[in-house]
Amino acid sequence: MKKLFIILGFITSIIAVILAVTPLSRIAYIPSVTALIFGVLALYTSKDKQQFKKSIQLIFLMTIISLVVTTYKTIFNTAEVGNTEQLEQKVEQLEKESLDELEDLEID
Amino acid sequence: MRLVLVSAFILSVSISSFAQNKTIAAGEKLTFSASYNMSGLLNELAQVTMETSEVKTSKSTLLKLKCTAATYSKWDSFFKIRDLYESYVSPKTLTPYLYNRDINEGGHDKFMKYKFNHKTKTVSSIMRKTRSDGTVWEVKKTVKINASTRDLVTTLYHIRNLDIHKASVGDSQSFKVLFDNNESIVNIKYLSKETINTALGRKECYKLSISINNNDVLKGKNDNLLWLTADANKVPVYAKFKIAVGSGELKIKSATGLKH
Repeated sequence: MKKLFIILGFITSIIAVILAVTPLSRIAYIPSVTALIFGVLALYTSKDKQQFKKSIQLIFLMTIISLVVTTYKTIFNTAEVGNTEQLEQKVEQLEKESLDELEDLEID
Repeated sequence: MRLVLVSAFILSVSISSFAQNKTIAAGEKLTFSASYNMSGLLNELAQVTMETSEVKTSKSTLLKLKCTAATYSKWDSFFKIRDLYESYVSPKTLTPYLYNRDINEGGHDKFMKYKFNHKTKTVSSIMRKTRSDGTVWEVKKTVKINASTRDLVTTLYHIRNLDIHKASVGDSQSFKVLFDNNESIVNIKYLSKETINTALGRKECYKLSISINNNDVLKGKNDNLLWLTADANKVPVYAKFKIAVGSGELKIKSATGLKH
């Protein structure tokens, strides 16, 4: 039982860390919380506290890292539009083209 | 009785298709933030703007309606979107004359141009696509349209120009929209009045539901909603949509240059 919780905890905490560094950071909350739950469950189901102690610590460490990164990103990263130079150029070019074509069109 | 109702509806539709523009002025700029719902968490994805400006040809003055969408920088390396939809319309009646659509989504390019001829009720369309090897492929076509057919951008602005204050809850209207050389019928239903919190403050809004006939782009019943402020400007402040790959929403961030 304990082994299962540790394995699940590892998987979810690794997913959380990976998601936390991608733009999908907000989704990292879900695996982070599940990893925390598995970590706590693994702690409580163990009779022998010393066994797998390192791995449980590692799960908690990874989860805390991903939570911190995600929270930092949600608070401090404002959504900004990237480079739209190409789009603006296209707008100008299309407007020139369109004006020429509108000259030929019949407008009531 | 039914006959009276039907004829009244037809009359109201035909009147509305020649309605005067009382809502949209040149120099208006609306900015929205589009979010996509991923397993219950909203992720801000792109910025959408709707702008109007005046353009002059040698013979006439036209209104240019421009909508752009650009993904936020953090998404650009994953899936970059730079979309442009624009329409040149009559400032008095919002009748479209020329429509351009230039989309660039995740490396795929597509360009569409419609030239409306309202006398012969046809649209000459040009479609240009860029293949993966860089060659351009062009298709020219003439499409027959109905008298009240509009393009997508004009329809959006036309919805804002409807006399919703005269409508009662439950009323619906349909519009013919030309998209990808196909005419589809879009239905708008007035659901209720609702007061919602927006970036522009607490606003009383008209809640409208949108559906498209014989088209499964928009999913669900009453899941595609649009909130327009219940004043003379009828600013779209909030929209919710549901498509095959999930759901999302559009929220207003700023509005400048409003007519009223």
